[in-house]
Amino acid sequence: MKKQIAIVEDEPAIRDNYAAAFAREGYAVRTFANRREAMTAFATRLPDLAVIDISLEHEPEGGFDLCRDLRSLSPELPIIFLTARDSELDAVSGLRLGADDFLTKDLSLGHLIARVNALFRRVDALRRPTEDQQIIRRGALTIDAERMAVEWQGQVVLLSLTEFWIVHALGKHPGHVKNRQQLMDAANVVLDDNTITSHVKRIRRKFQVIDPSFDAIQTVYGMGYRWVE
Amino acid sequence: MNLGPTSGLRLRTKLLLLALTTLTLPWAGCQYAKEMESVLRANEQQSLLAVASTIAASLQGRRELLYRTGAAKQSRTAGPLDIEPIVMTATPVLDGIADEWPSDSRNTKVLEKSDGDSLRLLTTTRDRWLYGLAIVRDNKLVFDRSDVTPLDSATLGDRLWLAFDDPRGGQQRVFLSASGPGALRGRRIETREYGREEVVDELRVEGAWRVLRDGYAIEFRIPLSMIGQHFGVLIDDRDRRGGVRSSLGTLDPAELTATGLLIAASPDLSDRLQQFAQPGVELQVASRTGATLARLEAPALPQDYTAMRGLLPRLYRRFLDGDRIPRRTSDAERERLSRELVATASAGKATTALTAGRYENRVIVTAAVPIFDNDRQQVIGVLQLAQTADRWLTLRDRALTRLLNLTLLATGLAVLATFWFAGRLALRIARLRAASESALTREGRLAVDLPETNAPDELGDLSRSFDALLRRLNGYTGYLRTLAGKLAHEIRTPLTIVRSSLDNLEHEPLSADATTYVARARHGAERLNGILLAMGAATRVEEAIANSERVEFDLGDVVRSAVDAYASAFSARRFTLEQPDGSCRLRGSPDLIVQMLDKLIDNAVDFSANGDTIIVRLLADPTGARLEVENPGPLLPDTRDSLFESLWQSRQGTDARPHFGLGLYIVRLIADFHGGYARAANLPDHSGVRLSVTLARTSD
Repeated sequence: MKKQIAIVEDEPAIRDNYAAAFAREGYAVRTFANRREAMTAFATRLPDLAVIDISLEHEPEGGFDLCRDLRSLSPELPIIFLTARDSELDAVSGLRLGADDFLTKDLSLGHLIARVNALFRRVDALRRPTEDQQIIRRGALTIDAERMAVEWQGQVVLLSLTEFWIVHALGKHPGHVKNRQQLMDAANVVLDDNTITSHVKRIRRKFQVIDPSFDAIQTVYGMGYRWVE
Repeated sequence: MNLGPTSGLRLRTKLLLLALTTLTLPWAGCQYAKEMESVLRANEQQSLLAVASTIAASLQGRRELLYRTGAAKQSRTAGPLDIEPIVMTATPVLDGIADEWPSDSRNTKVLEKSDGDSLRLLTTTRDRWLYGLAIVRDNKLVFDRSDVTPLDSATLGDRLWLAFDDPRGGQQRVFLSASGPGALRGRRIETREYGREEVVDELRVEGAWRVLRDGYAIEFRIPLSMIGQHFGVLIDDRDRRGGVRSSLGTLDPAELTATGLLIAASPDLSDRLQQFAQPGVELQVASRTGATLARLEAPALPQDYTAMRGLLPRLYRRFLDGDRIPRRTSDAERERLSRELVATASAGKATTALTAGRYENRVIVTAAVPIFDNDRQQVIGVLQLAQTADRWLTLRDRALTRLLNLTLLATGLAVLATFWFAGRLALRIARLRAASESALTREGRLAVDLPETNAPDELGDLSRSFDALLRRLNGYTGYLRTLAGKLAHEIRTPLTIVRSSLDNLEHEPLSADATTYVARARHGAERLNGILLAMGAATRVEEAIANSERVEFDLGDVVRSAVDAYASAFSARRFTLEQPDGSCRLRGSPDLIVQMLDKLIDNAVDFSANGDTIIVRLLADPTGARLEVENPGPLLPDTRDSLFESLWQSRQGTDARPHFGLGLYIVRLIADFHGGYARAANLPDHSGVRLSVTLARTSD
């Protein structure tokens, strides 16, 4: 059975372009223009993945509300925020509500599809027994590339998809400096320097919640970041 | 700070001048005091006249008081032989010396002979006595021989005859002769039985003989009660004893009878006047001809009425009195005035006059009123009341001094208060001006709160208007500032439509031409996206700065690491790092510092050519650090400080990337965050440009 993707987006042209791209990839696509329509449909059947715009018609924050409602229906459903905005605050709010990723609309369709595929892969992986060869261990760090899950000192660190790919890129080759472009490529995003910096900052903070002395991600000024064991 | 035009009057000076207008208060006070004074003076003169009239009324018809018994019966005008003694203020000593005698033309009679001898006769009355002083100029003084009888005409020398009729009508003659200078007594020739003549001493007549350089003087006194209506004096002058006498005097020389009147008041007049005595008032009764009949000296004034002393009152008085109050009256002038007064009063009219200078330059007001006969037609005498004007002058001076002192004090206070007020006002305005000058930063942000916005007065209104204006301006510049970000946001949605459509189009079968067009469209879309990123960059940096945490770090390490990276990133340029030994600790955000350095290096790379060397220099000092980036290339335009402002772009870069001038604006934002500033300058040898950023060691 085809996996079903719900697109909640009030701009018809974008909505239809995305729908066409996902359909081409072999997904079943349902599109909604506003929160009410979406929730009515979700009440009868949940999609396998939801791509949600933050501002929906008359509700500037409608996407956040929708995310919250959706999350209460299904804790595991992958949710991707798409927005024309790129403010830090929005990203933080969105991720705090349990979204798996937060993307701006200048992301190319290719990159978007790569993420959707990755999220589906993760959902599948969670249903399968762990395969050891997919697991990278670097000291206290454990990366499960299949399930896109990260553990630090045995505790799960909840990362968004972009954050996971950044940690994955750094942790796979400890000591190697990864510049911003490399990190962006790994995360399938096009971001400016400040956004990378704030992603790294957010990742550090998530690790520090578990281990306040965490400093394994080192800034190499002017070049990028590296993982130190 | 611009102080505005310094020529012309400042607010403070203007208000000060304004305060000086309170000086009109003392002027008005003076005018008032003058008015008050003239009213007082008129009152004083009126009351003096009233008093004088009362006294005069009590003397009305009392000829016998004014004039000695019988003297008033005749009312003929004064003759040349009349004697008009004046009233003396002190009892003279009988010594022949004239020093205590008042010199008044009325009581002096001068008679001269053809050979140069003369008689000057002065008469006064005092306490019921008639005093006389005969000053004789004589070329040859002859005394009596001491051993002869006075009746032996062969032995007689110079002598003085007094002749008068007694109150009963008989003729009396008394002569004064001496055998040498000194005291002497009057003598009388009495006819006894058989016609025998005998010389008797007249004990009531006393005298003194004094020899002068060119003659002699005889001073004598005789009780007024002895004298009737007429009185006369005669000098018998002989050039040798027993020689022919040559007479000079007011008596008939042959008969030795008096025909001139003695015009003098009754001795009771003084007693009568005594009851009207009051402090500070001088009473005087004169005959119609002006001869003083009686005078009552003024008892001493109470101390209160003495004139105020001190510099200020004197100054005020001089300023105030002007010419209206006589300051000094000469003796002649005073006599003339006195005559005028008597003449006016004699004509039946009461009058007053002001004189000055008699007692310590005090002003004297004199009232003269006629004393009428019973029929109220004929004037029998003149009563004069004189009193110092000090009473009202003192009152006026006291009121005036107080008034002037108070107004001067008030003026002083007003000037001080105005000065204080003006100073405060100027200060407030200066504060407002300073605040309004620096209220808007160059980017149009509202930097300070305006002072005085809570003040309830006009300055408060002004400040509030300024505040409202600045806020509106701030809102507008804020709108302009965020316009790029908003625009970027709005353009992003249609751009996303274009890009996602292009993405989809790539999966459709296209002709070769169509593929080319799609590629072009994609190229354009990507450029547009780049522009959007650049437009939003400043906003993102501002957000990043707002969320930045300050940590302590070594600026040297950061810069070194960053410059290493640039060397590999921009392989077409050479990088040289100059930095001091040791660490350069700084509190701030290393991420932001690197971002700032990125922008500086971007700028340096943009404006330099391949193969050029870019110098990055780090200088440390105790207060902070300085980063300098030098690149060879085109020089700066004249408006170099604007380089660091948002959307400034006047230099043409060497590449085709979109330039929004945001790079150096971001440099400035980050320098601001680190408590520093950014500067741009041409290199001294004009080979290129140096951008420098100063950073404070701690900027919390």
